[in-house]
Amino acid sequence: MVLDSDLPRRQFLRTAVALGGAGALAACQERVDGGATPTGDPTAKPRRQHAWREYVPHDDSGNSLLPEHQVLLYVDLDGDGPPGEDARSTLESALATLDRAYEWHADGLLHSVAYSPAYFDRFDADLPPSVELPEPRALSAFETPTFDTQDAVVHLASNRPDVVLEADEALTGDRELVNGEPVDARLTDVATVDSRRTGFVGAGLPAEHQDAAGIPASKPVPEASPLFMGFDAGFVGNQATEDAVTIEEGPFAGGTTKVIANIRQRLEDWYDEQDYDERVAELFSPGHAEEGLVEGVGTNLGDDSGIDRFLDDVADRARESGRVGHAQKAARANRDDDGNVRLLRRHFESTDDIGSDDAVASLHFPSLQRRISAFEEVREAMNGADITAATPAVRQRVNNGILEYIFVRRRGNFLVPPRRHRSVPTPRPAES
Amino acid sequence: MKRRQFVGLAAGAGSTLALAGCLGDSGSDPATADADADGESLPTDDGTPPAATLSPTRTATPVDPGRGIYIQSFREQMSVQGTATSGDYEFALMFAVPHNFWTVTGDEVSETTIEDADSIHLMAAVWDPDTGTVLPETGLSVEIARDGDLVSQEVIYPMLSQPMGFHYGGNFPLPGDGTFTVTVSVGGTNIRRTGAFDGRFGDPAAVEIPLEFTKRTREEVQSRQLDRGGDPGALRPMDTPVPQAVLPPKDDLPGTVRASGRSDDAVFVATTLDDGPVDGDAYLAVSARTRYNRFAVPAMALDATLTRDGESVYEGPLRRTLDPELNYHYGAAVDGVRSGDELTLSITTIPQVARHEGYEAAFRQMPDMTLTL
Repeated sequence: MVLDSDLPRRQFLRTAVALGGAGALAACQERVDGGATPTGDPTAKPRRQHAWREYVPHDDSGNSLLPEHQVLLYVDLDGDGPPGEDARSTLESALATLDRAYEWHADGLLHSVAYSPAYFDRFDADLPPSVELPEPRALSAFETPTFDTQDAVVHLASNRPDVVLEADEALTGDRELVNGEPVDARLTDVATVDSRRTGFVGAGLPAEHQDAAGIPASKPVPEASPLFMGFDAGFVGNQATEDAVTIEEGPFAGGTTKVIANIRQRLEDWYDEQDYDERVAELFSPGHAEEGLVEGVGTNLGDDSGIDRFLDDVADRARESGRVGHAQKAARANRDDDGNVRLLRRHFESTDDIGSDDAVASLHFPSLQRRISAFEEVREAMNGADITAATPAVRQRVNNGILEYIFVRRRGNFLVPPRRHRSVPTPRPAES
Repeated sequence: MKRRQFVGLAAGAGSTLALAGCLGDSGSDPATADADADGESLPTDDGTPPAATLSPTRTATPVDPGRGIYIQSFREQMSVQGTATSGDYEFALMFAVPHNFWTVTGDEVSETTIEDADSIHLMAAVWDPDTGTVLPETGLSVEIARDGDLVSQEVIYPMLSQPMGFHYGGNFPLPGDGTFTVTVSVGGTNIRRTGAFDGRFGDPAAVEIPLEFTKRTREEVQSRQLDRGGDPGALRPMDTPVPQAVLPPKDDLPGTVRASGRSDDAVFVATTLDDGPVDGDAYLAVSARTRYNRFAVPAMALDATLTRDGESVYEGPLRRTLDPELNYHYGAAVDGVRSGDELTLSITTIPQVARHEGYEAAFRQMPDMTLTL
């Protein structure tokens, strides 16, 4: 990956985010034209680290438009055992720098730090029963992901590539000022970055970055699509609210759990062997294709994919059409007893290929939910094993939603504490 | 950028294939249709050397449902690249020249044609190392890398070929000659396992097998036109160390073999066991195999009605099941079967297995069968 100044502007900026480092930041800052970055008021930050909905723009239908540029820093704390007060105050100081430097907004910076089960294993005490945070595990009969068991993951998100890069540098580099604020402490004073992953989301960006392995050379990703697969996703009506994924009790009340998968996308056959209606059938449901519910990238669906109409007869419809839809399968388990959605998905695209420098289409898939088991149940439903028993036309990964085209390579489970406990919390911090 | 280069190089590699010499292991055998389950034997070739080498099935054969199984239009070799074992599974990796094949979704059959960039038809087989039983219905994927760089990763489809037997396969472009690392991954199967297979084959596993794509290995694969191509019948499977998904001859099946019938060149053999593999209950098993070669015909939806003196005593699906003695079959526990019972078999979903040339017209229009047990 090379930062070539001949690249078109947005591609150049995105490449800078992928590369990271002081040089990329400097190059990026020369080419952004966003004007001054709004600074932050540390006292005006929401109590929840995962509070995004009010701070990101919405489309005409009220769907959230997630920050275009995102960075995940998987880190290991230095030393063994429980981190001490020094580490806590150093990390808090580093994060407070970001709080001061940037407004909590997609045009400023949204950021969070979340902790793994391996992190909490450093302590003798267990997490309280109000927090369910199991080790990550394989969630289908065919996946063998590598598990992310680093201590923590820092998530940086902004519509401005220079901001995510600068925030990254504030945490891990040697800058002394970021957006006018002095940097007194760094994440890397107490931790080491094990893996840096980056990505993008939003109409136009996938189309601009489709020259990656896994996407046909014909460049089929529509300009209007926020994702490589060519359709909108994350309709507000099919997403959990932030309240619904927030832990309600105990010392971590106000926090949430976060499962992050990295998924390689292999979309040659998705685009070349299937027509549009077949893609609609496999991503949404065969009924969506038959009734012609989806136009273009699906913006016409408005604020809801309408998937709930197609959940009662999934096996029968699969027998008839020889296919089952991804959204249709997953939605079966993604509703609570009152019909409310359980998961809040915030996935974004990438051309990272963890472990190599190749540009390979992939997806970072963070999902927020009150309990990790909710995610596991939805994933189980998405496997559609029951549908493969109902009809041999639907196989383990063929005609079975989008399973033929996605390969889970990584998965990690994390607790996103409320802001007050964001810096190396003990398993039993004070309740208020 | 790299991907674009792959395409150009791969086209070159593909054209080399067609000129490859002959080192094969079955080229000198006469191609002969195996005795089928009904006892027929159909010679399909007079053994005279074929005239030319060519890339097979480059010209699409019109699908003609009702035509049944016919002898494919070419003879060929494949190169067995290696085997490896992991968990419950043993794997083999093979390749041949690129092929046209037909995939099935429900009752819809679609042809996948060779693309210019395709270098090989990559094949994987997976079986139980203890019994040699081939797993004909699981999920298989391959990841191809060279020097740590990703070349491809795909789910590959279960398919039937006359000389290459049942395998999981797909056509792949390769970025030129070299040694590739192919990671073959199997998913845990979702079909019922019985007997000593109960509790096995439920977990995923993966192995790495190197793939040599060189002048030497290309010379191991070739194809030649076959004069008898198109006649009813089938080529025999090649003689390779890779176990084949060949089902036992009718009379070697366990239990009381009671009847057999044929539907669009799939042969259905019904056998019953007094103490079957499901809770020791009486058990009806239907073993479905190709008319020639006795390859397992997997992934159908099959309903059975068992009638005694005009009254139905069982009515329901026969479940896709893998058993060490019965091998792959469709079965159900029943209350008991008596001589003279009538068994009606109804194929509600045709075999979803993909097909190489010679099979694409068979197992398509499958009338019900009524067998007297």
